[in-house]
This record gives sequence, C-alpha cells and structure tokens, in this order.
Amino acid sequence: MNVAARLIAALAVAGALAAAPALAYQETPWLADDVAAGRFPPVEKRLPESPLVVAPKRDDWKPGTPGGEMRMLIGRAQDVRMMSVFGYSRLVAFDTDLRLRPDILASVDNEGDRVFTLHLRAGHRWSDGRPFTSDDFRYYWQDVANNKELSPGGPPKVLLVDGKPPEVSYPDPLTVRYAWHAPNPGFLPALAGPVPLVIFRPGHYLRNFHARYSEHEVLARTARAHNARNWAQFHNRLDNLTRNDNPDLPTLDPWIVRTRAPSERFVFERNPYFHRVDAQGRQLPYIDRVILNVADGKILAAKTGSGESDLQARGLSFANYTFLRQAGKRNSFDTVLWDTAKGAQIALYPNLNVSDPVWRALMRDVRFRRALSLAIDRREINQVVYFGLAVEGANTVLPGSPLYTPELRSAWHGFDLAGANRLLDEIGLTKRDARGVRLMPDGRPLEIVVETAGEDTEQVDVLELIHDSWMRAGVKLYSRPQQREIFRNRIFAGETKMSVWFGLENGLATPDFSPEELAPVNQQGLQWPKWGQYFETNGASGEAVDMAPARELMGLNEAWRTAAGEARRAEIWKRMLAIHADEVFTIGVVANVRQPVVISGRLRNVPHKGIWNWDPGSFFGIYHMDTFWFDEKPLPRTAAVPAR
Amino acid sequence: MFSYIVRRLLVMVPTLLAISAIVFTIIQLPPGDYLSTMIAELQAQGETANLERIEFLRQQYGLDRTPVEQYFHWLFGLLHGDLGWSFEYNLPVAHVIGDRLVLSFLVAFTTVIFTYVVAFPIGIYSATHQYSWGDYGLTLLGFLGLATPSFLLALVMLYLANIWFGTSIGGLMDAEFIDKPMSGAKFLSVLEHLWIPVIVIGTSGTAAMIRRLRANLLDELQKQYVVTARAKGLPPHRALLKYPLRMSLNPFISDIGDLLPHLISGAAIVSVVMSLPTNGPMLLAALRSQDMYLAGSFLMIEAILIVVGVFLSDLALAALDPRIRLHGGATK
Repeated sequence: MNVAARLIAALAVAGALAAAPALAYQETPWLADDVAAGRFPPVEKRLPESPLVVAPKRDDWKPGTPGGEMRMLIGRAQDVRMMSVFGYSRLVAFDTDLRLRPDILASVDNEGDRVFTLHLRAGHRWSDGRPFTSDDFRYYWQDVANNKELSPGGPPKVLLVDGKPPEVSYPDPLTVRYAWHAPNPGFLPALAGPVPLVIFRPGHYLRNFHARYSEHEVLARTARAHNARNWAQFHNRLDNLTRNDNPDLPTLDPWIVRTRAPSERFVFERNPYFHRVDAQGRQLPYIDRVILNVADGKILAAKTGSGESDLQARGLSFANYTFLRQAGKRNSFDTVLWDTAKGAQIALYPNLNVSDPVWRALMRDVRFRRALSLAIDRREINQVVYFGLAVEGANTVLPGSPLYTPELRSAWHGFDLAGANRLLDEIGLTKRDARGVRLMPDGRPLEIVVETAGEDTEQVDVLELIHDSWMRAGVKLYSRPQQREIFRNRIFAGETKMSVWFGLENGLATPDFSPEELAPVNQQGLQWPKWGQYFETNGASGEAVDMAPARELMGLNEAWRTAAGEARRAEIWKRMLAIHADEVFTIGVVANVRQPVVISGRLRNVPHKGIWNWDPGSFFGIYHMDTFWFDEKPLPRTAAVPAR
Repeated sequence: MFSYIVRRLLVMVPTLLAISAIVFTIIQLPPGDYLSTMIAELQAQGETANLERIEFLRQQYGLDRTPVEQYFHWLFGLLHGDLGWSFEYNLPVAHVIGDRLVLSFLVAFTTVIFTYVVAFPIGIYSATHQYSWGDYGLTLLGFLGLATPSFLLALVMLYLANIWFGTSIGGLMDAEFIDKPMSGAKFLSVLEHLWIPVIVIGTSGTAAMIRRLRANLLDELQKQYVVTARAKGLPPHRALLKYPLRMSLNPFISDIGDLLPHLISGAAIVSVVMSLPTNGPMLLAALRSQDMYLAGSFLMIEAILIVVGVFLSDLALAALDPRIRLHGGATK
C-alpha cells in the first residue's frame, strides 16, 4: 500500500468517525473559571467543527481525567524544542504502525504522489484564538519561502522536484493544493517528521514583522532595537514553530511555552484551542501543565532517580537501568525498556575517502572490509557490555521493518577468524612484525586508529573488545576520542581512517521512507564524506564517486525519488540494502540497545513497550503524549528484565 | 599618592586592550565556529542541515566576516557597553549573563565567608600549638580537604543529602521556586541547597588558607617584638591578635584581586557537576560551543575584575599597612 492508498484508507476511517453521532463535549476544569468569566469561549467553540478523535487501540490505554502537572528534565535550555517533538501535532502524522494519518488536516487527496490537496478542519484556531486557514499557507509560500530576504536559498529542497518548485494554490479558506510536474513521494513524510517541514505560519502575527506588510522605517527600528541586522533576521528569529523560543508565537501544539528564555525552568500550558478530543468528548491534552527543568546532562540520571521527573528517557542510558530500578522502589516510579530503531548502536565507518593512498586502496578493497567485520566477536561484546540484551549483526534495517531479511544482518557479520585471516592473506598482507601485526604493502604496520566522538565510554569499551579479536587477525586497533566537531572535520578532510558512530538513523524503514542514508549524497555519511560533499555542492567541492557499487547506490537513490508505486520503491530499497550487505560499507556491531523510560507511578497511558526513535517516531510523539494522564494512586511496578 | 592612582588607572587601558585581543584570538583558535557546533548537534539528533541554509546562517550571524573585522566589531560594541549577541541562547549577552549574577555572587560570597570562618580559628590554633596533636590532626584534615577531588565530593554529598534529607539533586533551589520572586519559602529552599556547594567549593580553599595563615603566623610569633610584648606582660590573646595576626593578614588582602573574578565564574567544574545556575557552567558551555561573543565578553568582564581587583588590593594594603604606605618617604 503506498502513501496515497493509505491516506484514502485513513480518510474512510475519518469519514466513519464524522458520521458517528456528534460528541457531547465536556469543559476542561482548568479553563472552567476563565470560560465562566468570558475570557475564553466554551469548549465547543474552541474546537474545530470536526475535531480529531483520539482513541489508540492499545490494551493498556484508558481514557483519562484532565488535570495535573508533569515534570520532565532537559539537559540544555535549547531542548525546550523537544516539546514540539513530544507533542507531535503535524499536518499528517505517523501512527504507532508508522502509517501516515491526517492530524491537523481533516484529510489529504493524493493524486499519484504528484498533486496533493490538503483539506483543513473548519473552525480550527491558533492558540491565540484566531482562525487557521489557507491564508496561513499562502503566507508561508509567498512571503516566507519565496521571499528573497527571508529565504535567500529559495524554498526547502524537499519542495523541489528536479529543481522546480510546485504550483501552490488556495481554492478556498479550507483547501490548499501543492502540484508538481513529477512525483514527490518525500512530501508527506517530511510534514510528519520530528522537526517537520512546516508549510504554514501564523500570518496574522508575523505580518507585523514583515517588510511587505509593515512600514520599513518602523520595522527597521524595531529590528535594530532587538539587536538584529535587518527585518529579515528579526522575522526569522520570531517565526520558528518547532523551537518553542518565542512565547508570543501562536501555535497548533498541545502545549504552549509560557516562559521566556533564559531560564532554568520552562513552563508549558495547555493550548485551549487544541484540535483533538478523546472519545468521551474531553478536549486534549489531559495534562494541564508540563514543566521542563534544566539540569546538567551528567546529573539527569541521578535527578531522575531521586524522583524529580515524571516521564524521562532523554539523558538516560542503558547503563543507568539497574540504578533506576533500585531508585524506583524508593521514589515510586517505574522503569521500562523501550526498543530503539537505529540500524546499529555501534557501527564502524571505514573512510573510503581517506587521504593516505595506501590506506585508501585498502579501505576500498571489499575483502579488507569483510575481513575486519568477520574478525569481531559480537556475541562477546553483547554479553559483556549489554547483558546479552542487544541484537548482533550488520548495520541494516531491523526485524520490525518490512524490508528486513535475516541475511541482511548476518552476511559477512558472523565471527570467523579463519575466514578473516584468509581474506587478509589473499589481499597480500602476509608479512607480520614481531607483535604479529600484519604489514601494509609499504611496510607500515597495519594499525587502524578508530576515532570516536568521545562522549561516552560505551564506544571505547566496545572498541577495547574489538581490539582483542582483531589482534588475532593481525590488525592492531587504537581508539582515539575527539571533540565532536574535530571528529567530524577530520573525517570530512580525509584524515580519519575509521570512525565509530551510530548506525542507520531509521532501522524501521518502509519503502516510503527515503533511502538516501544508503547512498553517497550527504557529507555527513561518515564512510564517504567527500562523495557526499561532491553531490551536495553539485561538484563544486569534494570528489566524484569512482567506485561502481557506490555509483549504483547513487543511481538507485535518484530512481527512488521519482519511482511510481510502492512495489518499485520496495524493489529499489531491497537492492540498495543488498549492496550494503555485500559491500560492508559500514561494519555493524550491535543494534537495539534498549532505552530506559522512567514513568511516574501515577502517570497512565505511557506504553510499557514502545520504540524510542527520532524519525520516524518523534520519541513519545507517536504514542500521543496528549493522552497521558495522572491517576490518584501509583500502580505497582513492573518486573525487571532479567539479564541473560 | 594621587599621581600613583592616576598612573595605575592609565596603565589599565593598554592592559585591557591587549587582553581583549588575546582573548578573542584564543576563542577563534579551535577549528570551526559556532555553526559547525550546531551542525554536529543537529546531526547527532538525526536532522540534516543543508549547506545552503548553513551559508545563510553564517552570513546572518556575521561569521562570514574576517576575524579582524569580527574583533573590531566586538571591541567597538564593548566600548559602548554592548556585550554582543549569544548565538546559542539567541539573546543579548548582557541578558544571558545578568540573570545568573545574583546567584553566582551568593555562592561565591558565602563560600568566602565559610572559608574565613573555618580557616582563621584553625590556622591560629595550629600556629600557636605547633606540633601538638591538635595541630597534626587539623593539618591532616586540611590535607584531606585539599586532596579530595571536589567533583567527587560533590556527587557523594548530593547523593547523601538526597537520601537523608530529601534535598533535590543539583541546582540552588527546588524547581518550583525558579523564576519566582524571593519569598521566605524560596529563601529556605536556597539555604537547603546552598550548604553543599559552599562546603565543596570551600574545602580546598580552606585547607590552603589554613596552611598559609599558620606559616605566616609562625614567622611573626618568633619575632622579637612578640617576645618583648609577652615579657612586658601583655595578655596572651592581645599579644597574639593585636600585632602578629595583623601582620600575617597581608597575603589575604592581596588575595582580594583573585576573589573578584571568582565571584563571576568561580569553581566552574563543581558548578557543572552540581548543575548550579551560576555563571561558571555557562562560560564553559560557551567556550565549548564557540559561542564567541558570550565567551569573549565573559572573559573580558573577568579580566576587568582582575585588573580592578589587583588595583583595589594594592590600595587596601597601602591603607592598612603603614610599612607599605610609608615606605617611599621613609628614611632611617
């Protein structure tokens, strides 16, 4: 089923809901006084005519009671933007099965991934009570995306097909149409991301800061008074709907930020005009206030353990699990483990663009990459570092993805020292020094410096174990922690031979997600930074791809962008994954190292089994944080996961 | 005396200019700029940042200008009292720093008081009872304080305070009081949290001060005027406090120059570990992320405080110690 068909199915569901007898809405207690005093209209006037009815079909999900205040911890003040990720209010949004559903929109008509007609909900309002209409989309397209001063680079790349922009029209206040000359399958998923492409803006508010609608003199003076170079910089600073850094900016999120930075404590209050209700007719979110307290990243786990967070996962790692279980007894919270969706928790990236010619030749030899992979004892690493709870194998999609086959994870990723030694001999690395380390063709010992971003000791621990088994294949490993920016810049410059980082961002990909991570189209691809840079800059810098399999990946990625139909897209994905499995462009170690999630004993509707992922997933986003609620009494704690 | 003060003040100008150039150069030395930090962070989140957008931001932040231009832009602002713009907070630097000043002062001031209150009696006792059991015992304690890594002590104390007294971990007050106006309850909450950082930051300083006071006092106590005073029947405490102690205080007064910058960013590492809402952790973060105007202005304020502090302590020394004041005109 492709996106179009899915949305049509979703529409059918939405239609069925609309046909159901109108809900009797219940006033939110927190707003009752204000409504009685006339400061807000009553709930039926605040909701759209047909709000989104949220009733997840989960055994552990129950409709709740509104009220309460939820505390969470963040490591830096800038992380207030996480509330827009957690709140996950999008034009279209992924559900827990990773299918796209209309959310802010009432529905979407999709004609061949080429023409998208977006239908808004009648009566939908911004958090300041002003109507949300197609004019807000027009403001974005005409006055932001196509304004030379606000967007000197033009509209975002995902809105261009073959470099050409869409035709955007606004037939009526509730309808917006994006039409391209060729398919743009990336459009809808981009709207549903954790930091989405936002194709609307609160025009009524931002107009006051736009040169087209306000007097130049006044505007320039205001901008200068706020230390901005010009009106455009000032406008850009104010208009970020995903960062929660401007309390005056109207929003469509479930909670609105009320605290102006700088602060150590950010208070979010419910959006009185939020467009979702539960099946009882109670306006969501259930929780009135969310408080984000800033604390240093190093003490987040300790603070969580002392019961200072009602819902926490960021800042916690698997290593904290036992401590948190222990502390939960004292402070009445539960700690559960969620799955993670990265292609690998730890992956080695041989730099195919390394400057040293001898090393480059070796790194580009597929036998060398395979040998290094075969010489890693993943079972041992799993047992020693992860209590045997992780998944061993290559850096590829996870079993939850429809594209997964067991071969993808196992190919060239078993533990076979004899095979590794044979491959290395075959390359001609037969001479060894006194330590038993093989010598490279030019006589230097085969010593690989693996650079890490130096943020946690976990990577170094794993590298220590890899060192031992590589040594038995005659390869000496040194690990070298770097500061993060230096780490990246050295890789980009080709100074780094090999680096260690996370694996694929999205291990749960379906054919509808872009496969670009598998192709050399981005400088951030640590195994081929210069090829990626070459593509990104249209050949201005970097190096052209000069390896056949990589070139094929690039071609396939292009083919995916214009492929019609899910079957064709799946075919492309499978071919790309197969190339990766065979070529071992990255060496995976373990995946699915689980994420501890701390849940206050009183907090309900947080699933005990879930997937902790950025994109797709938006962390708590797809689990509907707006339906989490507080009960009177804490629940008994769940049993701990036994170590294997 | 007047011409001395004027001369000292005039010398400050080139000193500060030189410092500003050095500060700015050092901040610029590491490869990359704030945007590369930002990109790396976006990347770690799984977001991609495209090169065009980055170029645009670089221009908006003024990072496309040459370092020399950037320096003069910054210097020009400083002379007008404009500390520049913090990229990371997206706010004027003055605004970012200002909020934390009060608490920074509170922590630093309390720590200084704590140090003095503990160090003076112990130092005097150790000097007057040299090589006694008490002297050895207290010296041992002092060395322990000096040798314990303060961040470790901080973590242990935070944990114990949480388990025993239910004090929330880190910070200077319970979360619900942040951004609230001062009240009785808030003040109590601050007191509840304040003692841990004060003890942790104060311990090493206390130990050092005990040793110095002891050594100075021992020197003085052996001088002939003390013996004479005792022989002439001056009461023991007077023979101690009136002259030898005053003499041994000089190093502490010249320390004032060091104290002032501590008020702004003292004990950064401990503050980071304890997540104190003071300026130290902020300076560290700014340096790491190359938020250059924030870091630069911070360091400049510190430099000014040091220069002024040294000047003030010189004046205070001259005022307090006639030997120094009269030295110029003294003829024997």
